[in-house]
Amino acid sequence: MRGIPTTMRNRLLASGALIATLAAATADAAAQGAPKPVNLLNVSYDPTRELYEELNHEFIRYWKGKTGQDVRIRQSHGGSGKQGRSVIDGLQADVVTLAVAYDIDQIAEKGRLIAADWQGRLADNSSPYTSTIVLLVRKGNPKGIKDWGDLVKPGVSVITPNPKTSGGARWNYLAAWAWALRQPGGNDATAKAFVARLYKNVPVLDAGARGSTTTFVERGIGDVLLAWENEALLAIKEMGPGKLEIVAPSVSILAEPPVSVVDRVARKRGTQPVAEAYLRYLYTEVGQEIAAKNFYRPRLASVAAKYESQFPKLTLVTVDGVFGGWRKAQAAHFADGASFDQIYQPGR
Amino acid sequence: MRAVRQWVTSIVLTTASVGVAPQVLAQSSAATDNSISDTSSLEARVDALDQQIRVLERLRALAVDSAAAAAKTRQSATANAKDGFSLKSADGQYSLKLRGYAQADGRFFASDAVAAIPDNFLLRRARPILEVTVGQYFGFRIMPDFGNGQTALLDAYWEGKFDPAFSVRAGKFKPPIGFERLQSATDISFGERGLPTNLAPSRDIGLQIAGEASGVFEYQVGIFNGATDLASADGDLNDSKDLAARVFVQPIRGGALQGLGLGLSGSTGVEQGNATATDLSGYRSASQQTFFRYRTDAVAPENTVIAEGRRSRLSPHAYLGLGSFGLLGEYIVNRQEVRRAGSVATLTHTAWQASGSFFLTGEYAGFRSPTPRKPFDLTAGTFGAIELAARYGELDIDDEAFPLFANSASASTKARGLGLGVNWHLNKQIKVLLSYEHTTFDGGAATGDRASEDFVVTRFQHAF
Repeated sequence: MRGIPTTMRNRLLASGALIATLAAATADAAAQGAPKPVNLLNVSYDPTRELYEELNHEFIRYWKGKTGQDVRIRQSHGGSGKQGRSVIDGLQADVVTLAVAYDIDQIAEKGRLIAADWQGRLADNSSPYTSTIVLLVRKGNPKGIKDWGDLVKPGVSVITPNPKTSGGARWNYLAAWAWALRQPGGNDATAKAFVARLYKNVPVLDAGARGSTTTFVERGIGDVLLAWENEALLAIKEMGPGKLEIVAPSVSILAEPPVSVVDRVARKRGTQPVAEAYLRYLYTEVGQEIAAKNFYRPRLASVAAKYESQFPKLTLVTVDGVFGGWRKAQAAHFADGASFDQIYQPGR
Repeated sequence: MRAVRQWVTSIVLTTASVGVAPQVLAQSSAATDNSISDTSSLEARVDALDQQIRVLERLRALAVDSAAAAAKTRQSATANAKDGFSLKSADGQYSLKLRGYAQADGRFFASDAVAAIPDNFLLRRARPILEVTVGQYFGFRIMPDFGNGQTALLDAYWEGKFDPAFSVRAGKFKPPIGFERLQSATDISFGERGLPTNLAPSRDIGLQIAGEASGVFEYQVGIFNGATDLASADGDLNDSKDLAARVFVQPIRGGALQGLGLGLSGSTGVEQGNATATDLSGYRSASQQTFFRYRTDAVAPENTVIAEGRRSRLSPHAYLGLGSFGLLGEYIVNRQEVRRAGSVATLTHTAWQASGSFFLTGEYAGFRSPTPRKPFDLTAGTFGAIELAARYGELDIDDEAFPLFANSASASTKARGLGLGVNWHLNKQIKVLLSYEHTTFDGGAATGDRASEDFVVTRFQHAF
């Protein structure tokens, strides 16, 4: 630089080098001391707020004790499908804990953010807890609802969220379909007719399961809520006994909400080790206990035995067994133009 | 919730009871069963209505949520006078604007004794402008020019606008020197800018920070390659960079002088030309004829005048908008160290101008063209805005330039320009311009003064 005298330029260069060296040395010293705090974002579905609030609290303590590293965990909740689309669109989730495997498959395929074999990376198809679908009615069961068949009676108002945005809603839909298939003479046509009649009794479709619970419990709309078992048990706990009752249907579906690290985001943000540990923590005895206390069915036999009495005994079918897996179920029922679009006409 | 329902039920039942009380009293006890049945029916109907109301309320809330969510992702495509044609995301953080302007001139020389200058029609400027905003802070702008049958990239810069008081711009753009140069070519009142613009660069490549505070104070500070006068430079000839800065204040809030703005700009840097790229410019009259140039020598290149050493510019300037009357004044002093063979000198050129404009139709005469109060509309019988304009300016070449660094037989020592104009602003986009420029010179001819110029420009301008 001709405009700056050589001596001054040399001094500037020397000063810059000194500052850079000091900065590097300071950063190195800091790195050798305490590990740098890390932030995790868990993008989850609607009813898991309470579960992960409790789990996060315990995991933060566990991780600090194990590694000395501070972790801050943020949660994002909404309809499972909607949450999955947000991650594909750029929401920087380190982990996803969604309602259905299909939503994580979409993140893997469309977003290319997760390895295709994600479901095999953790035990039990990466579903650390399970749940099912039950019927939640008001105290005394004024409409006399005992099983799925009662939901299509005239005058019965059914609350369930929108399967286009909610994973829970898709489980509800498939559970009803599975019940219809098991009725005498049941086949896809009769099941479709039954589910169509059921949705004629649905006055409101919320975007997520928690929204539907609020609609039923707090806004007082409807006679029966198709609900996650954990959500129904939580509602009864929150509202106090004597206001709501669970009706266990003769058949329901085994819901296996999956979890996964969002590989590309976690790698980019340097959170992969803690993100993986966070999900593995769900499988520990502590994690399973927390899941059970929040009314999710634990996988660990010892914890499952301990909490056995809080879950109604149900005949459970699986998506794989009845529908050939989530991909087929999604294509047949929830894709644009599929069975749900054919049977559900808003406002009619 | 249940309490509300019971309350509503009790009101309905009470009303019903009062309304039918005489009849009820007249009934026999045999009617009691029927009354219980009626009561149950009413309660059921109230419950059903209550449910319907709740459902409708919820559906309405969901519709509002749905509309709000849709609005967040809905893009808008607009076409208007302010933004031209634009695509914008719902949150306004991403946008693409296509703007531009074109100026088609008719240029006529009433007296062209110095040289046979043909009258001609000319596409003076044809500039598409692409502006993109990416995210909350960042954007870029590209503006080429296809005027005069040539292609040039005038503006190409990235900008981060972090706060009204702090933005960063990098790329090629107008450096903050030369007041009229900073005015858009679509807003000038004459066919060409005045004589002081000769002593400032057109475009330069560099990095600038800028900001403003409450419309009272604005600043720009930047480091640039150091383009020579009038140049739109795409590179530098030496390692040294120029520093350029400007401050502008509008000190009076309210009252007749609230449109008064005072500014000071300057630049400094060390330049190094060579025989093929001298880093020096000639200067032009309003008709774009060169009336001053430094000596060049193709046979003995060492005799070509080159920039060598510091070049500094300082320019106080002011603008006053007094209702329909606007006044612009600027002065610029340009000091340049030059060399020709073994001779060096520091030459100081100066220029100034004062120009005024007046809108017969009452529009405010600001630094930018106004929107006509009554745009041209045949059906409404309105014709737009009419502006009258006049200016006078001078450019004085340092006498030390002659004869060693410039030839007085072909380079003038001084130019004086008088301009008169009338402009018809049909609407915000379209302007028809007529201006007359009379320029006289000292020296610049083999014998005496270069012949004066009488130059008329007509222009049709379309900007969107």
